[in-house]
Amino acid sequence: MAKLKLSGISKTYGATVALHDGALAVDAGDVHVLMGANGSGKSTLCKVIAGSVRPDAGAVLIDDTPVTISGPRVARALGIGVFYQELSLAARRTVAENICLPDLPMTAGVLVDRKALAARAARTIALFDGVAGDGFTADATVDSLRADQRQLVEIMKALASEAPILIFDEPTSALDRAQVERFFAIIRDLKAQGRAMIFISHRMDEITAIGDRVTVIRDGRTVGTWRLDETDTATIIAHMVGERSEPPGARASRPPQDETMSGPEARAPRDIALSVRGLGGSGFTDVTFDLHRGEILGFGGLHGQGQSAVLRTLFGALPRSAGDVTRGDTALPLRTPREAIRRGIAYVSGDRRRDGVIQGRPILENLTPIHYLRQRLMLARPSVLQQKAQAAVDALNTKFAGFAHAIDSLSGGNQQKVVIARWLMDRPDVLLLDDPTKGIDLAAKADLFALIRTLARDGMAIVLYSSEDAELLGNADRILVFNGGRIRRELAGADRTRYNLYHAAYEAA
Amino acid sequence: MTTLAALATRPLVIALALIVLLLALGQALSPGFASAQQILRLLIVAALLGIVAAGQNLVILGGREGIDLSVGGVVSLSAIIAGNLMNGADAGIPLAVLACVLIGALFGLLNGLGVTLLRIPPLVMTLGMLGVLQGLLVVVRQGIPSGRAAPGLSSFVSQPFLLGLPGILWLWIAVGIVLALLLSRTVFGHRIYAIGANEHAATMAGVPVKAVRIALFTLSGIFAAIAGICLLGYSGSSFANVGEQYMLPSIIAVVFGGTPLSGGKGGYTGTMAGAVLLVILQSILTTLNIDESGRQMVFGATLLVLMLFYGRGRAMRA
Repeated sequence: MAKLKLSGISKTYGATVALHDGALAVDAGDVHVLMGANGSGKSTLCKVIAGSVRPDAGAVLIDDTPVTISGPRVARALGIGVFYQELSLAARRTVAENICLPDLPMTAGVLVDRKALAARAARTIALFDGVAGDGFTADATVDSLRADQRQLVEIMKALASEAPILIFDEPTSALDRAQVERFFAIIRDLKAQGRAMIFISHRMDEITAIGDRVTVIRDGRTVGTWRLDETDTATIIAHMVGERSEPPGARASRPPQDETMSGPEARAPRDIALSVRGLGGSGFTDVTFDLHRGEILGFGGLHGQGQSAVLRTLFGALPRSAGDVTRGDTALPLRTPREAIRRGIAYVSGDRRRDGVIQGRPILENLTPIHYLRQRLMLARPSVLQQKAQAAVDALNTKFAGFAHAIDSLSGGNQQKVVIARWLMDRPDVLLLDDPTKGIDLAAKADLFALIRTLARDGMAIVLYSSEDAELLGNADRILVFNGGRIRRELAGADRTRYNLYHAAYEAA
Repeated sequence: MTTLAALATRPLVIALALIVLLLALGQALSPGFASAQQILRLLIVAALLGIVAAGQNLVILGGREGIDLSVGGVVSLSAIIAGNLMNGADAGIPLAVLACVLIGALFGLLNGLGVTLLRIPPLVMTLGMLGVLQGLLVVVRQGIPSGRAAPGLSSFVSQPFLLGLPGILWLWIAVGIVLALLLSRTVFGHRIYAIGANEHAATMAGVPVKAVRIALFTLSGIFAAIAGICLLGYSGSSFANVGEQYMLPSIIAVVFGGTPLSGGKGGYTGTMAGAVLLVILQSILTTLNIDESGRQMVFGATLLVLMLFYGRGRAMRA
């Protein structure tokens, strides 16, 4: 009998179908692994169980009783405990308070029962005794803790709920070896107690070490469930890839590769636009690669494995903790975006509302800031600037009524085109694209990819991180697959297949 | 029709309409209120406020809760120092102007450094600076005798200079033109709007956000210092906390003119209209025999009402 059973779950966001026919059955005493590529719908399915997303249709059964999980509080009351991947801690409160936050012990229903709170927290903290590291005490405030220690608090928070159903969404991403071992030992205890657990991880070795069953989700549909000891990694990944091996027309958009472009080794050193050695920063370590002029280098892997952080660090928007970036014999410090821009590095973020658009200002003012900096201008003469900006917006087929109109009057796709066009008034050497097509329409995407191929052909070096695997496979000449903040594999030439991409995305160190 | 409706909702149009309305009201209450002579006097007072509001306007445009509460203190200090340095002689004017502008720039710079490098919220930083300035004023006034305005300065403020208008009005017009050009036709101006509208995006587009913000506070100090010198010329001699009355009205004039407190949009033309409007309002209140405390209450209430109408954007963006 399944402890938790979901069937026919569907959820659409506007035109996007996140889940079409999601199904999952988790038995008591099982660790049930959920696997799927980016955007397959596994996170949405977890959110449905956690009560933070309400499905459009479908049934949820706990102990064979139909339930409606209308919100996180209801989920908690139904005995569902969740480890959240995005940290949900109260930074200024203590470890003990955070652990007990979902269900604070009360006296007379008003005051927090300090004694009970301390006792419950101490019990949970003791589980990780010896591996939690220095300074990890019940009284320490969360903002004084390291990233791995915060993740432990998140885990403890889920454990302290003593819920019969537990969801762990990438619980080990920041933990060290010993902490993972201890966590798995705890999970085995919980299995013995008959808890039902859902486990999401981007590391195949962890999945095989702790999982009992695996359910694969593809394109919002549950493909199937298998016992992990009766299947192998290759089969699972084949299920994630499905029959459709390549997006139609993806190859056609790529130009025929000539002999000199056959591999990075064949290129002369002068062709290197950026040489990155041992780069470390927030959420990634030891990133090494060469970026060549005229190539589109893809960053792949599951969401949030350090791809975006590497790009932001190269652009000077995040601090670098280790490593060197050089061009020829020149070391590039790249401490601020200004410095990076002056060195000919461009960065386009997918989060245009935050990083790109200057709201309420005319389109022209949204196009010119990079030009001002690179040309060291003092005066802004609209007629001259418009002339220079025209070519840049035309290259992207941007549709707009006039340069003086506010950028807010444009559609999302055209706003992003304006943001991209601001980098084209003075051609950069290196273009860093950080999931640039997020939330824009298909026509705009096509325009963008046609443009970057032209730019690459003209000699620009381009890094493309995309959360849509089809975009990467269809446009990148080489793909570096990230996992846990490191480059795990390089896929070039005929190796650039969906199967290899998923395989590498789940590959362990 | 629609353009007319759109026009009617523009802050500048509203302000101009209100100016006419208030002048008519003043004329009705006290005949002679809207005479040419009286209007000229009102404009001179408005110019003093308008020059302070120029700096205030720039700081507010730059966003991130930008506000300069120390302007009144700088106005007072500048008036006292200018009075002492010129002490009734035209020969002292150049030195007095130079000294006051430098002092205003210094306090503005300190505000800017505190806000950017020390990350002190502008409200707290400039309020603290106002406290420092007020203390400094007490020390300065005890140490040296109160000075007098040079005759040249007094006539600059109150005597016709060109086309029947005194020099200070020409100065104000020049400030208006310079700021309009600065905001629309210079890189610095576009950067002000950029950091006010989306500071994060501005940083990512290579705008030197901190340098721009420091410059804005410095300019605010300079404008307040210039207003202080002119105020000395207007009143003839300096007295205690003469600039205190400028803090709140300078903010109201900016908001009245269509620059929201959240920054990133608006401009100085509207602020000029806002300054004129406030001065007329003040004058009507005086005509009605409402004392200083009553006027302050009316001003405070005006700002709150304005926030109700214009300040919505702030809540939506937060």
